[in-house]
Amino acid sequence: MPVTVDVRDARVDPAALEEAFADLGRMDALFSTYRRDSDVSRIDRGELRPEDAEPEVRAVLDLCERYRRATGGWFSAWIGGRLDPSGLVKSWAMDRACAILERHGARNYVLNAGGDVVARGHREDGERWRVGIRHPVQRDRVVRVVLATDVAVATSGTYEKGTHVLDPHTGHAATSVVSVTVVGPDIVEADVHATAALAMGRSGLDLVEALDGYEAYAIFPDLTASWTSGFDALCAAPA
Amino acid sequence: MKRALGAVFATTVGVVWLVTFRVTPHARPVAAAPPPSPAPATSETPSSAPAATPTPAATATPTPAPANRPANGSYTGALVPTRFGDVQVRIVVTSGRITDVVAVQMPNDRARSAEITQYVTPVLRSEVIRAQNAQIDVISGATFTSEAYAESVNDAMRQDHLA
Repeated sequence: MPVTVDVRDARVDPAALEEAFADLGRMDALFSTYRRDSDVSRIDRGELRPEDAEPEVRAVLDLCERYRRATGGWFSAWIGGRLDPSGLVKSWAMDRACAILERHGARNYVLNAGGDVVARGHREDGERWRVGIRHPVQRDRVVRVVLATDVAVATSGTYEKGTHVLDPHTGHAATSVVSVTVVGPDIVEADVHATAALAMGRSGLDLVEALDGYEAYAIFPDLTASWTSGFDALCAAPA
Repeated sequence: MKRALGAVFATTVGVVWLVTFRVTPHARPVAAAPPPSPAPATSETPSSAPAATPTPAATATPTPAPANRPANGSYTGALVPTRFGDVQVRIVVTSGRITDVVAVQMPNDRARSAEITQYVTPVLRSEVIRAQNAQIDVISGATFTSEAYAESVNDAMRQDHLA
């Protein structure tokens, strides 16, 4: 998964990037569901009690539980009896990376981790960041442009391999929506709700509509789209 | 540009993990299709982005300009099997541009019959198809989303020399 950081501040400690990426790497080892010796794998196999895991793992599992309740079970780290907090870990790790960058003085930057975006401050020309939402088919096109200052943009898509696109209630894949993009102040909140809304299908936008400060844009398999009531106000006018 | 650090790409340094399941190689290669060419006389949006995320598709061999001009009509893409079911789409081309995309076949799930709520207003397909030549700093999108879906559309586009 490509991770890019684009910092536009004139003076930022170069160590900021190294530290941010190093932290992402550490979280890798901790949360990998592919490493048999990771905390997550050990909890999954019942060899480690969650309360005995590393503090970061406990924090993530607590967050997962909080969001499971907040989304009426549509977001869950446990699906089909298996533990996979990946749906939240990426954005949670992005949040940590942002904190590191900002501790080193970054104020105007964009962090993009595999299509999930945190945009802080402004471009060097003083304008807001322009965050495109990728067209699901014509991958070099965008369907909307979000004008962003201190905004997180998370997109979840179907037809991926992975548990987070499964309906936690049935264990079946959710396929009635191609992708859901959620825009709001917090990347973890946006990410979790994009995942949950995707699993819900066509009614997923309701979830975000009810969430203060967040808007969503959903694309359906027939290439129609719908969005929440406040989404248009976040976007650049059509070209 | 007064960028202190500039764009930094770290594609492998321990960060692949975060969505490892997304990048697990598929049993069947689905990224064989070249990236769709933009419609004539439009600029490629991501190319203007200083920190545009490189996607696997973007590294494919550039598509030479089609020898044949796109013809009007509708074109049905190949049936693309996925673990969830078959995906097939039909595109409608008018004046060299895709003006409509119709899902001929999509995997069924119970949610497809879910009611459309008051907040979900169906919109014209052209709303999504319209591309914007806006200056983009960064792109949000599930990079590995809907590959089979895109593949069927791209196949239909190839039939019409749009791609």
